[in-house]
Amino acid sequence: MSDVFPKWTNKLPIRVIVGLILLGGATVVGLTYYATPKYTRVGYQPVQPVAFSHAIHADQLGLDCRYCHNAVESSWYSNVPAASVCMNCHNQVKKDDPKLAMVRESYDSGEPIPWVQIHKVPDYVYFNHSVHVNRGFSCVECHGPVNKMDEVYHAKPFGMSFCLECHRNPAAKIRPLDKITDLDWKWDEDPQKASELQQTHGDQMVHDWRVESLVNCSACHR
Amino acid sequence: MKDLTYSPKTSGPAYWRSLDELTETPEFRQWVEKEFPESTLEAPSGQSRRDFVKIMGASFLLGGVGLTGCRRPEETIVPFSKMPQNYVHGVPQYFATSMPTRDSAVPLLAKSNDGRPTKVEGNPDLSFGKGGTDAFAQASLLNLYDPDRSKKFLKVGNASTRSAALGGLKAISSKFQGNKGKGLHFLVQPTSSPSRNRLETMIREQLPEAKWHGHEPVDFRNASKASVKSFGKALRPMPHFDKAKVIFSLDNDFLGAEQESYSHIRGYADGRRLKETEDHHSTMNRLYAVESLMTLTGSNADHRLRVTSGQVFSVAAAMVEEIFNQIGNSDDDAGSPITALRSSLREKAKAVAVDPKWITESVKDLVAHQGECLVVAGYRQPESVHQLATALNVLLGNLGETVSYVSDNSISYDSFEALKGECDAGSVDTLVVLGGNPVYDAPADFDWKITQRKAKTVVRLGYYDDETSDGCDWHLPMAHYLESWGDARSGDGSYLPVQPLMAPLFDGLTELEVIARIAGNDEIKPYDIVRTTLKGVVGEAGFEGQWKQFLHDGYLESLKPEKVDMKADAFDWSAVTREVSQAITEADQSSSASKDSLEVVFHRDSSMDDGRFNNNGWMQEMPDPMTKITWDNVVLMSRRTAAELGGIKNKEMVEIVLDGRKVQGPVWIQPGFADFSLGLALGYGRTHSGRVGGIDSESVGFNAYAIRASKNSNFGTGAKLNRLNRIFDISCTQDHWSMEGRAIVREANLEQFEEKHDFAQNMDLEAHTSHIPHDDEGNPAEIYEHPYKARPSTSSDIHQWGMAIDLQTCVGCSSCVVACQSENNIPIVGKEQVANSREMHWMRIDRYYSGNPETRGKASNLIMDDQQPYQEWIDDPQVVNQPMICQHCESAPCESVCPVNATVHDHEGLNVMAYNRCVGTRYCSNNCAWKVRRFNYFDYNKRPIDQLYEGPLASRPEEDIDLIEMAKNPDVTVRMRGVMEKCTFCTQRIEQAKIAKKVAARDSGDIEVADGTIKTACQQACPADAIAFGNLLDPESKVSKLKKSPRNYAVLGFLDTRPRTTYLAKIRNPNKNMPDYHTMPLSTLEYTENMGSPFEEHGSAHGGEAHESGHAVETHSEGGQH
Repeated sequence: MSDVFPKWTNKLPIRVIVGLILLGGATVVGLTYYATPKYTRVGYQPVQPVAFSHAIHADQLGLDCRYCHNAVESSWYSNVPAASVCMNCHNQVKKDDPKLAMVRESYDSGEPIPWVQIHKVPDYVYFNHSVHVNRGFSCVECHGPVNKMDEVYHAKPFGMSFCLECHRNPAAKIRPLDKITDLDWKWDEDPQKASELQQTHGDQMVHDWRVESLVNCSACHR
Repeated sequence: MKDLTYSPKTSGPAYWRSLDELTETPEFRQWVEKEFPESTLEAPSGQSRRDFVKIMGASFLLGGVGLTGCRRPEETIVPFSKMPQNYVHGVPQYFATSMPTRDSAVPLLAKSNDGRPTKVEGNPDLSFGKGGTDAFAQASLLNLYDPDRSKKFLKVGNASTRSAALGGLKAISSKFQGNKGKGLHFLVQPTSSPSRNRLETMIREQLPEAKWHGHEPVDFRNASKASVKSFGKALRPMPHFDKAKVIFSLDNDFLGAEQESYSHIRGYADGRRLKETEDHHSTMNRLYAVESLMTLTGSNADHRLRVTSGQVFSVAAAMVEEIFNQIGNSDDDAGSPITALRSSLREKAKAVAVDPKWITESVKDLVAHQGECLVVAGYRQPESVHQLATALNVLLGNLGETVSYVSDNSISYDSFEALKGECDAGSVDTLVVLGGNPVYDAPADFDWKITQRKAKTVVRLGYYDDETSDGCDWHLPMAHYLESWGDARSGDGSYLPVQPLMAPLFDGLTELEVIARIAGNDEIKPYDIVRTTLKGVVGEAGFEGQWKQFLHDGYLESLKPEKVDMKADAFDWSAVTREVSQAITEADQSSSASKDSLEVVFHRDSSMDDGRFNNNGWMQEMPDPMTKITWDNVVLMSRRTAAELGGIKNKEMVEIVLDGRKVQGPVWIQPGFADFSLGLALGYGRTHSGRVGGIDSESVGFNAYAIRASKNSNFGTGAKLNRLNRIFDISCTQDHWSMEGRAIVREANLEQFEEKHDFAQNMDLEAHTSHIPHDDEGNPAEIYEHPYKARPSTSSDIHQWGMAIDLQTCVGCSSCVVACQSENNIPIVGKEQVANSREMHWMRIDRYYSGNPETRGKASNLIMDDQQPYQEWIDDPQVVNQPMICQHCESAPCESVCPVNATVHDHEGLNVMAYNRCVGTRYCSNNCAWKVRRFNYFDYNKRPIDQLYEGPLASRPEEDIDLIEMAKNPDVTVRMRGVMEKCTFCTQRIEQAKIAKKVAARDSGDIEVADGTIKTACQQACPADAIAFGNLLDPESKVSKLKKSPRNYAVLGFLDTRPRTTYLAKIRNPNKNMPDYHTMPLSTLEYTENMGSPFEEHGSAHGGEAHESGHAVETHSEGGQH
C-alpha cells in the first residue's frame, strides 16, 4: 500500500495550504495596490511648501477660482498662480506673516515656489480644462469641494472609467455657465428635486449647446 | 562611406534587400509576400521561445518585488515668480520670422510651445510662397536641437570660454584699427541681410584695406550676373509661373533644386490647375523641359528633352535662331549685333543632336503665346545661357508680363580665388570665416585645408564643429536662426525679420555680432543692429509702431520692393553677342560628352543641399523625390551609359576620375537620364559631420566635392569611369518602378479629358469586372456592411473629415513628408532599418515610371525589380507622383483584424490608433492594402540608431535626450517600441480646432468648425496647395467641392473600403505637333492594353452612374441624435 502514495505526497497538503496562502496574499496585495483608491491617488494630500488654504481664500473670502487660476478658460492647463498674484493682496494683507515668507522670497528672488502636484493625468491623455469649464462642467466635478479644503487632496479617482462616466452622459453633470466656479451650487437643496432638475435641464442644455457625448479614443488620446 | 555589407559589424549572411541576390524564387516570393521582411540578423539564436517565456515570468516576479517603483513619483509645479504679460501657459504662440537662405529667405511662422520652437510653417500673409515651405525649412527645426551642434567656444581645438573668445575678437579688432585692416580677410557666404550689408559697408569704410571674399558652393547668382551684362545692372529675375501659359525650362529645376522652389511651385501649380474658360473649355499651362538630370521639373513636364548639361547652351542657341526664323529679324542690317548673333548661333544650332522638330514645334508654341510664356535657365548653366534665356523672353515679349525684375542689392565680393592667391602669397594675417564650410566644399584644386592654414590666425564662426573648424585658432559656435536676431530679404525683395523664439541654447553668436565686434562697434547686440538698420530705412518718425508691425506681420507693407521696369529695348544685344560668341569658342574647345569622356554634373542635393543638412536625420531619411534613395548619394547615369560602359550593374561601385581627381560611389541607373552624363549630388561624404552624417569612414555617401574643381564647378566633361566590381547596398524605399498597367494613378491628356471628364471613374475596377459582386441593378454591391449604416449612432452629424489630393498640381517635392515628421514626432530609423522596409514616414510619395508600350512590351510581362534598370523603356519615361497616407477607410480592413481594438473608428470618420491598447501583432498592417501603417520595431526615440539591436543596453546620453525632447510636439504622443502607428489626419489639430470653436461657442450650439480652420501639417506645408482637407458634411467646403469633381477617384476603390482620402486624376497638356507626343499618357496606354480605353464606354459592366469611386460620405444623421 505504501507504494500507492509516494513519500512526497505526505507534504502535499501543507504545500497546497502554503500555496493557497501565498496566492491569497498576492491577490490581496494586488487588489489593494491596483484596485483601491490609493492607486488612483484618492486621498493623496501632500504637504505643500506654503500652507495655503483654499477654504479661507475661496470659501471664507469668496475669491473666484479664476482669480488665481486665470488660464483655465483659455488653456488646456489650469495654471498655478505666480508669486506675483499672491503678492497682489499680500503686499497689503498679512504682509509680514512668517507663513508667507516663501512667497515673498520667490517674488523678490525670481525662484519659483515648488508646489507639489496632486492632480495629474497620464501623458497620453490630453485633458483640456478650457473646453470643460466653458461648456458647463464645474471644477468640482473632478477636483471635489476644493473650497472646503484647508489642504488640497485628491478627491476623485482619475481613471478612465471616471472620465467616461461623464462623457457617456454629460447631461448628468452639466450646469449653467455662471455657476461653474460656484462649487457649492446645486439645482435645489432637496437632493431628490435637484436630481430631477439636473436631468431635465441637463438634457435641454446638452441639446441646445450641442454638447457631444465623446467616447471615442481620439477625444482624449492623440 | 558607410558601406553596410562590408562593415565588420554586420558580418554574416547578406540580409539586405539586394534583389540581385534574391531573385532565386522561394526567398524572393517570401520577401514579396511579407509586409515586413525579416532580416536574418534577428533570427532567434540561443534562446527558444519557451526560454523566453521563462525569462519573462521571472522578470515579472522581479517586477512584483520592486512594485513600489511603479508608484508615481512626486512632481512639482513651478509657476512663474512674476507673471509675464500676454502669456498663457499651454497655449502655443506663433512668431513671424524667416529662415535665411543663400541670398534669400523663407518667410515663416514659427510655433513656440512654452518657450521652445516646435514647428515652422510658411507665413501665409506674404504673397511670396503664400505659406508654402520647402523641406529644408521644415527640417531646419531639427538642426536647432541637434545634439551634435557646436556648443563650445574652442581655441585651437580646446574648450575655451565665451569671454576669452570675445577677448580674442577684441584683440583682432584693435589690431587692425591701426593699419586700416591690412591683412584682415573675411570669407563669407552671400547674404540678403540688410543689416549685414550695412555692417560690411561700415567696415569697408573703417578698414578700407580689409578684404571681403564670397564663397558659395551652390551658387544661384548666375542669372543676376548675366543681367549685369544684358541690362547693365544687377537684377534678380522674378519669373511669374502663374501667369505663363507655356513654360520652357533650360535645365532649370524650379520645382526642385532651384532656390525658392516653394514659391515657384505655388506659381506653377496655380497655372497648372484646370481652369474653365467662358466657352467651357479647360485650360492649363504647358511645361517643356530641357535637362540632363531627371529632376522634378522634368518629371512634371509635358515634353522633356534630355541632353547633357553642356548641350543646353546649343539648345538655347537653336531656339533663339528658330525664333528669329519664325518671327523675322526686326533688324537685319548687316552690321547689327542681332545679325552677328544669328550668324554665330546658326553654327552652334547645327551642332545640336536633337530632333529639329522638337525645337521648331516648341518654339512655335512659344511664339503662339507671346507675352504669356516664359523661358527660364537653371543655376548650373553659365551666364551665356541665362542671357539667351533673357533674349528669348525679350523676343517673346515676356518682359513685364511673365517675368519682372527686382534690383539685386547684395554686395559683390572679391572672389574666393583671390583669397587663395593671398593665402598662398602669405599676405593674410587674420582670416575670419563666417559660416559655410569651405574646407569641405571649396573647389578641389584649392586644397583649402592647407591653404587656409597659411593665414596667421583663423577665426571661424560655425554651426557645427566641422571640417573647417578643425585647426582654426578660434571656433565660435553660431546661433540658429530661431535663436538669433537678424533680417533678410526674400526672393521678391520683401524685407523680413529674423526673430528669435528663444535665447541661444549654447551661447552662440550671430554673424552680425561677430562682424560688429571686429569692427569695434559700440552697438554689438544683434537686436540693436537690426533695429538701427530698419530705422535707417523707415525713418525715426513712428519707428516703434513700425517695428512692432514688422515683427508681428513678418514684413512691412510699406517696404514692398519696387519692381524694376525693364523694357525690351534695354536689352543689350551686342553684349549678348559678345558673350555668346565667346561661349561658343570655349564650348568648341571642350569636348562633348561621350563614352570615353563623360560629363559630370554636380547638383544640389534634395536632402543635403550643399552639405549643410548633412547631420539632419529627417533630411537623411527623406527619400530623394526621384530616386527614392535614403541615406546615400549615388552616381546617377542613364541605362545606355551603363550598357556602353561594359554593362555596369545597378548599385555597382565605380570610381570616377576627373582631371586626375578620383571619387568612388555606387551607380544608380536613373530612368530618363541624359546619356553620357553622370549626376553627382553634393553634400555627402562629410569627414567631420556628426552622429547622423557620420565621421570619417562612417560618413554617409561619398564626397563629390573631391573632384569638383573651380573651372567646372557645375558640370564638366572628360571624366573616366573605372569599375570596382563590388555591389554597394542602397536603402531605397521604392523598388518597383512601374504600375504594371494598374489604375493607381490615373491620368489623361487635356483633349481626352475634355471629351470625357469622368474617365478616372471609368478606370475603377468595379466598373469592369464580373469578379466584383453586383446587385440586381448591375451596380457594384457593397462587400461589407457599412459600419455607420450598421450603427448610425456612432457617426457624427457635425463633422466628417475627408481629404482630396490633386495629382494635377502635386509635383512630388516631399516637403509634406518632412512637415508630417516634424508635426507628428516621427522618429528616424537609420539606413539599416530603411533597408528592412521599416521607415516610419506616415506620408510617402510614390513615384511611378511609365514607358511607351511599343518599347516596353506588354505591361503584363512582369519584370523583376532587379531587371528594370536594364529595360529600354526607361530611357524616356513619364513620371507620376502620388502622396500616399492612411486612407481612413470607412470600412477599414485594419480595424476588423485588430485583436485588441487598438485601431478603431471615431465618430468623425477618422481611423484612430489607441497606442496604449496596441500589442504589436501587426495584423492591421498585413491587412492594409495601401501599406501605410508603420510599426515601431525599436525604441527609436531612446536608442542611438546604430545601436538599436542592443536594446536596453544602449541608451542616449541624458543631455542628448533633453535636447531631442525639446523638438517634440507636445500635442502628439511619442510612441514606444512595439506600437503600430500611421497618419491620423493630424487629429491633434482637429481636436484643437474643435475645442477652440467650442470654447468660443460657450452656451450656443455653434460648434461647427469653419472650412479652412484646420490644416493638416502636409496640407500646410504643401507649396502647390494640392491637398485639401475638411468637413465632408459641409457642401461648401473646399474638399467637398473637389470630391464632386469628375476627376475624383479612390485608390483601390474596388475593395469597397470607402477611403476618405481620394485623389484627383492628373491631366497632362502635351502639344500634338511635338515629335514625342503620345495619344494618351503612357501609364494610361499601359492600362488600356489590359483593360481597354477609359475614354470610351465599353461593356455592360458599366452601370451608368454606378461608379462610386469618390464615394460621398456615408452619414446617417436622419432621425437626429440629440
